[in-house]
Amino acid sequence: MIELKNISLKYGEREILNNVSLTINDNTIKAILGPSGVGKSTILKLMLGLIKPNKGRVIVDGTDITHMTETSLYEIRRKMGMVFQGNALFDSMTISQNLGFFLRENMKLPESEVSRRVTEQIQFAGLEGYEEQLPESLSGGMRRRVAIGRALIFKPHMILFDEPTAGLDPVSSKKILSLISSLRKNNNLGAVIVTHILDDVFNVADSVAVLYKGEIIFDDVTDKLHEAQHPFIRSILSDKILEL
Amino acid sequence: MKSSPSSTGTFGLIPLLLTKLNREAKEFFFTMQEFFWFSLRAFLAIPKAKRYWRDVLDQAKICGADSLPIVLVSAISIGALLAIEVGNLLEDFGAKTMLGRSTSISVIRELGPLLMGLMLSARFGSRNGAELGAMQISEQIDALRAFGTDPIAKLVTPRLVAALIMFLPLTALSDFAGLNSAAYMAEHYHRLDPGIFWNSVYPRLAPKDFVVGFLKAPVFAIIITLVSSFNGFLAKGGTAGVGRSTIKGIVVSSGLVLIANFYVSKIVLENM
Ligand SMILES: Nc1ncnc2c1ncn2[C@@H]1O[C@H](COP(=O)(O)OP(=O)(O)O)[C@@H](O)[C@H]1O
Ligand SMILES: [Mg+2]
Repeated sequence: MIELKNISLKYGEREILNNVSLTINDNTIKAILGPSGVGKSTILKLMLGLIKPNKGRVIVDGTDITHMTETSLYEIRRKMGMVFQGNALFDSMTISQNLGFFLRENMKLPESEVSRRVTEQIQFAGLEGYEEQLPESLSGGMRRRVAIGRALIFKPHMILFDEPTAGLDPVSSKKILSLISSLRKNNNLGAVIVTHILDDVFNVADSVAVLYKGEIIFDDVTDKLHEAQHPFIRSILSDKILEL
Repeated sequence: MKSSPSSTGTFGLIPLLLTKLNREAKEFFFTMQEFFWFSLRAFLAIPKAKRYWRDVLDQAKICGADSLPIVLVSAISIGALLAIEVGNLLEDFGAKTMLGRSTSISVIRELGPLLMGLMLSARFGSRNGAELGAMQISEQIDALRAFGTDPIAKLVTPRLVAALIMFLPLTALSDFAGLNSAAYMAEHYHRLDPGIFWNSVYPRLAPKDFVVGFLKAPVFAIIITLVSSFNGFLAKGGTAGVGRSTIKGIVVSSGLVLIANFYVSKIVLENM
């Protein structure tokens, strides 16, 4: 479970988040919906302790990580897998090196176990035959699947997706979304999906929080979104465009 | 904050400027503090460099072998130029036999290391800045942290160790090339007997000349690697941001190389 409690955050003089509270339960898929630049990626980075809030607390599985040192955070972060907006794959490494990198780095596993887990992720992501390719030679959807495979490598119980379908064609988007749904069904994984695309929310999310101008203006099960009265939500429901 | 100068008059401008100055001073000290911690962490991770020996080797190749041509070219040209110019000067005083002595001191103590430092800051520093900057904006550095790997130990310390190791032999090779090109010019341009040239080089070179020259290698290695890497880590704002942070890294490290060059010479020569 991840909890944000009364988080405020500024970059320089600019206030990005203002008293934001959110709870993400295990085994559920929670979407955070909001226009570009509202602070969605920032929220994911707060959850991992990659950045610190100015005010408020971040609690992961009951542990307050707000003021933890970087080294003690490493342990906590391995409970969560992160899929970055631009995938953040290491461009000088092959696909299987990308998948195995953090296992070799941070777990003292025998090499046979490392390659077993890498093969498992290759199969899961449907990337057989591409093991020795560099990320740049793969399509956008395949790269995203490698990034998801990498995020699963420590067998986390929560996975954080930063705009998982942004920049993908409709077919690849669908594939990624069904992959996300299957993760919860088959592996009992919880997920946070940060997105500015309404279809993502209706396709996979159990519940959704809407972030607008630094505040959470809606936080409930996905079906209730249709009943929300906030003018911003009304406008996105009517024309599905978030670039406001 | 948004008051216009015309409505507030000249007196209104002064507090505005002071606020701006104050903010910039604060930002500067904050950056310095960040740089201090960054550097400290890079040094503290040196014992862990064994783990990243592959990266150390890669970086050693980049800052050593790959930088050798540009370092040699600059050493050869500075040696040749010094021999020609200083030779012309000394000729006026009838002291051309001193040519070896004066060029060797300049090459070994001052211009050799300085030019090498500037070349490496352009070559090794720019590569660090651009590479790490690109990794920063593509969130690869965040990814390292997110999966529990210290990006400074993985990315910066191997560069630092490689530079500390490689800058010394580079200095030696650059001294060697500079002196030989000076000797060549002395013989072929000034018609000075090589025996006379080298005779005024070797017996007169004091240990402090080498201490000055070779102390600069590790100092420059530290400055160039840490400044360029730090700026890479700070990159933000897309590809243009990588450009900005790379330039900043080169400008600042070149400036610091110039300053350090002066102080290392001053401190060593005053104390030896
Ligand atoms: N390191 C930073 N320094 C200053 N401003 C930042 C930084 N990171 C993000 N921002 C700004 O904060 C806002 C929120 O960023 P982000 O969380 O990436 O938005 P989103 O993911 O919702 O598009 C953006 O306007 C962005 O420009
Ligand atoms: Mg974002």
